[in-house]
Amino acid sequence: MEKIMAETMEDTLKDRVEQLVDYIMKWCLWQFHSRAWDREKQNEGVLTKTRQLLCEEPVELETPADRCYWVDAVILARDFKATYPWFATLDKTDIKVLMQGLKDRLDYLTITGSLNQELTDPKY
Amino acid sequence: MPYHKFKCSECIPEREKHAVIKGPGEDLTSCLPLGYLNTIPGTISERGCAYCGAKHVIGAPMKDVIHMSHGPVGCTYDTWQTKRYISDNDNFQLKYTYATDVKEKHIIFGAEKMLKQNIMEAFEAFPDIKRMSIYQTCATALIGDDIGAVAQEVMDEKPEVDIFVCNSPGFAGPSQSGGHHKINLAWLDQKVGTFEPEITSKYVINYVGDYNIQGDTEVMVDYFQRMGIQVLSCFTGNGSYDSLRGMHRAHLNVLECARSSEYICNELRVRYGIPRLDIEGFGFKPLGESLMKVAMFFGLEKEAQKLIDEETARWRPEFNWYAKRLQGIKVCLWPGGSKLWHWANVIHEEMGVEVVSVYTKFGHQGDMEKGVARCQEGALAIDDPNELEGIEAMKMMKPDVIFTGVRPGEVAKKMRVQYLNAHAYHNGPYKGFEGWVRFARDIYNAVYSPIHQLSGLDISKDEIPTDAGFMTRQMISDVKINKDEITPSEERPYTGDYDCVSKLRGKTYPGLSGPLSGAESEPFSDAV
Repeated sequence: MEKIMAETMEDTLKDRVEQLVDYIMKWCLWQFHSRAWDREKQNEGVLTKTRQLLCEEPVELETPADRCYWVDAVILARDFKATYPWFATLDKTDIKVLMQGLKDRLDYLTITGSLNQELTDPKY
Repeated sequence: MPYHKFKCSECIPEREKHAVIKGPGEDLTSCLPLGYLNTIPGTISERGCAYCGAKHVIGAPMKDVIHMSHGPVGCTYDTWQTKRYISDNDNFQLKYTYATDVKEKHIIFGAEKMLKQNIMEAFEAFPDIKRMSIYQTCATALIGDDIGAVAQEVMDEKPEVDIFVCNSPGFAGPSQSGGHHKINLAWLDQKVGTFEPEITSKYVINYVGDYNIQGDTEVMVDYFQRMGIQVLSCFTGNGSYDSLRGMHRAHLNVLECARSSEYICNELRVRYGIPRLDIEGFGFKPLGESLMKVAMFFGLEKEAQKLIDEETARWRPEFNWYAKRLQGIKVCLWPGGSKLWHWANVIHEEMGVEVVSVYTKFGHQGDMEKGVARCQEGALAIDDPNELEGIEAMKMMKPDVIFTGVRPGEVAKKMRVQYLNAHAYHNGPYKGFEGWVRFARDIYNAVYSPIHQLSGLDISKDEIPTDAGFMTRQMISDVKINKDEITPSEERPYTGDYDCVSKLRGKTYPGLSGPLSGAESEPFSDAV
């Protein structure tokens, strides 16, 4: 029984991660910078701040780059909550697990599993 | 990998990896064509060359500049006036084109002397213009003409002029995209940081990667200025030479077309610490969110919300009139680079059209990643298609309309498929809230054009009905409309002006009244 419940929870998490990935792919551009190192920074920067906003934690806005990640994160967090009613049922721990799953999946799709041969070009 | 092999290209097996069909469950780790590679011998590519990409796409929209091609006259002629990048100085950059007119004798004896003479003559012919760009071409690159040295000699003799040298001959890359790359970096290396611009706001941006096609840039700049933001430079639509030399003083690079100009944004970030924010000027939701993001960067959310509310209230109902009538229309989205991904999802979401194919002639795999991720399942994605593949794809996907350039567009017409000019537009601008209605109107006018039906009749054999008059567009389109549904009075066809751009020129913006000393040293300090 516990195993079935764990599997169901895992399926739900996977399904929700896919919904969020699909949203990002359809409506965002920040995940598609042209080089792997930029994509790593972008995914980390925007998704960390999105998680902090969703968990109502303080967000660092020290540098212009921070502000840039933050504006994308604010819009994303707003859109996630408006588009997916199940977001309201999540507590902070759930959100952190979900956002980690999202980050891992997005990193895979856009960086580690990407077929884009230009990602590792050392120059812009 | 869901590669698609065109029947017409069976004799060019390398082409197979340049087309994919996005099937169920496919993602970017399994479904992505090759891209930005040298054109395969034997395929009749429709790409442009690296000279064209540098001069025609990016350099030439600069408005207060003599754009001189150092090469045969055909190079400059073929890159003249085929794109509607207008400007607010009476379209100086569109009116004239300049070439050194290199001939065989110059290939043998060199063309530097003649280049200098041409530069002098051009400045004499247009004494009010003090800025020039010189573009290398294949022929003069191969004979080794040193354009930079000639330009420096002229600048030494005429200190009032400034000359930019773009060394991007046609062969300098697989396609026009190679030229985009070269001119981005050349401008940064040679010119950025050589001019100190006047700062008139606490909030300063460069608007990068928009070429003012039928006024796109001017529409977006109006929005930024209404929010109190100074647009220091536009790279390069309606952009002035000296303002672009001052790009290093902006607080933020707002990037529209990553394909053509992400290079300069990336380098401005590395060299000057100016962050890059990618935005979208098409569609109510992407545009509204983009304006909000730029505003939030400076703490101007209220200004942005006011603008978005006003524009949406004015234009959304008219857009809805068209969107209702465009549901289910099948589209091949075959533009150049960025519109592939700017439009792939939003036209589906906001207009209800079905994108059955995406292609790019010169895009990179990064563009296809965005395009494939954003288009619907079942779509055919093609990199650098040849004409026969385009025809085969149209027969296979049976689109109602194609968004593409003039060359493939004319082919589509011959197959009785409507086409909209995705590069130069039919009745643009398409950017902005009003522009989005104009785009919807153009799609509507194309798809429901009565000529489209009439052209299918062959008077030598078809029976021509004589008891009925011609159908109008609305008679054809409104078959789908529920007549019992109450339509708000604001929901109606487009009521804007024929020219919606000229009136923006000369507008004043209260927030940008005068120079603010030290604004650049303490940007938006109270904005958070």
